[in-house]
Amino acid sequence: MAGVSFREVVKTFGKTRVLHGISLDITDGEFVVLVGPSGCGKSTLLRMLAGLEDITGGTIAIDGRVVNDVDSKDRDIAMVFQSYALYPHMTVRDNMGFSLKLRNEKQALIDQRVATAAKILNLEPYLGRYPRELSGGQRQRVAMGRAIVRDPKVFLFDEPLSNLDAKLRVAMRTEIKALHQRLKTTTVYVTHDQIEAMTMADRIAVMNEGRIEQLGRPLELYDRPANLFVAQFIGSPAMNIFDGVVQSGAVEALGVRWPANGGASDGQRVRYGIRPEHLEPASAGIPAEVVVVEPMGAETEIVAKVGDAPITVMMRGRSNAGPGERIHLAPQAAHAHLFDAASGIRI
Amino acid sequence: MIAPYVLVFLVFVVYPVTYGLWLARHPQSYVTLFDDPVFFRTVVNTIVFLMVAVNVKFALALFLSGFFVHDRAWIRWLSVIFIIPWAVPAIPTIFSIRFMLNPEWGIINSVWFRLTALDGPNWLNDPTLGLTMAMVVHIWKALPFWTLILIAGRLAIPRELYEASSVDGATSWQKFKYVTWPSIRTLYLSSTILSMIWTLGDFNSVYLLTGGGPADLTHVLATLGIRYIRLDQVDQAMATIVVALPFVLPLVYFMMKRLSANE
Repeated sequence: MAGVSFREVVKTFGKTRVLHGISLDITDGEFVVLVGPSGCGKSTLLRMLAGLEDITGGTIAIDGRVVNDVDSKDRDIAMVFQSYALYPHMTVRDNMGFSLKLRNEKQALIDQRVATAAKILNLEPYLGRYPRELSGGQRQRVAMGRAIVRDPKVFLFDEPLSNLDAKLRVAMRTEIKALHQRLKTTTVYVTHDQIEAMTMADRIAVMNEGRIEQLGRPLELYDRPANLFVAQFIGSPAMNIFDGVVQSGAVEALGVRWPANGGASDGQRVRYGIRPEHLEPASAGIPAEVVVVEPMGAETEIVAKVGDAPITVMMRGRSNAGPGERIHLAPQAAHAHLFDAASGIRI
Repeated sequence: MIAPYVLVFLVFVVYPVTYGLWLARHPQSYVTLFDDPVFFRTVVNTIVFLMVAVNVKFALALFLSGFFVHDRAWIRWLSVIFIIPWAVPAIPTIFSIRFMLNPEWGIINSVWFRLTALDGPNWLNDPTLGLTMAMVVHIWKALPFWTLILIAGRLAIPRELYEASSVDGATSWQKFKYVTWPSIRTLYLSSTILSMIWTLGDFNSVYLLTGGGPADLTHVLATLGIRYIRLDQVDQAMATIVVALPFVLPLVYFMMKRLSANE
């Protein structure tokens, strides 16, 4: 096990710069998720850590050793690919033992490691099968098995759940997290799915256009997003955000006054943000017209119009409101977010 | 409506094959054939040609396909040039090679003489050298095609397999052994069989280069028939083709079996 450290890491493809000086320290045993929209550079960063892409500038170190010029095979890492990348001509057993075989380990040790991993991942009945004879979820587990028999310093996951159906994805999420709690191996996990990031990570690095927008614990990002990008990216349904002007401690927006806290000065132009669950239908407050009601059982999502802007409301329990009906919304001032209108940075 | 297909089959397959077999029906043709000292030499030449030319060609194609799959602009340009021997017509190119190899006034021996002041080898008048040069011409002509086939096979291998094996600790040789070869093995073997069938029928490489000479010592089964036709012995020529069937039919059988097994 080991820590990983990125120092001012830069990557260019031809003339296009895709990573603009990434610095990130991952401590021993930590589970860090790199999340961001496609094209943000998260997979490139992971592949540079894996040794599958050259490092244009800066340094990457594993366990204190700079690995810029170290071959993939000598970095002591294991990687799980989105396509699983199982060797099609090898059985599950041979797939899992392959890296040990390449290291000329004794057959007895390989058998024992593969057996242990197969037991952890419930793959024992499938050891003699070929990848084409397995379901998507089983292949995914073999890919993980191939990683854990290595007992590497770092696990790398590149969108490992993207090819699974929704139900299996939730189940595998839990399995990967349980596996990490059991093995405590340093893990870097790339995904575009913010729910995966929120549920699995010790810390999340939200990336956008080749930069880390914010690094922090999942709820830290949720409660105190550093800028508009993080505010909009983290959370589902997304935060309501609209333009406004600060006026004596509140924000004038969409023709009404929204309660706020924080140090914005009067007359400052801001972006006002409030999460759907921090707006409740109430007897008095901001007038709105219901557009759509989506009951989900334990909660109800209401889309309502304030002025011309659609606002999403997430309320506990159920609602009697119907489309066209006029309601009032009560925003919780303590949970309102203000961002500078020009820079998008949290105020 | 299968009548048109049946008609085509009758006209283009059943009739010529039956007529050929009819011409080759006389047992005396085979006695004459087996008594002809050129025949035994031809069978040996054919076996040598098949074993050496096909395997050397495929070993080279496998090696070169590994080079041409690299995604670089200059390699793509080079591959265009590399295709040329396959794309150009056989008769003028093989004739020009024949002229180049002429021991007295061919360009190769002229350069040889200028550099060493010695006479160059008697390229096409020595049976061993002549057959070797015919194999070289055959390989030169057919190599681009089979290299292309193996390039296509290599390109079908997912890149992630190579990346996974890099992370797993594989060297270049181990990547070839555990990823590339298992993935293209079937293609390689099927192509080898197909190429053997085609090589058995390769008339040009030998006939245009050596004409079967010197002294009919470089004939293969594909060219021996022509020798008899020129002697006005059509029955004899057909018998030669029938004698080649024990070589061809097992190959065709294996090929068809492989193709149906892959479906």
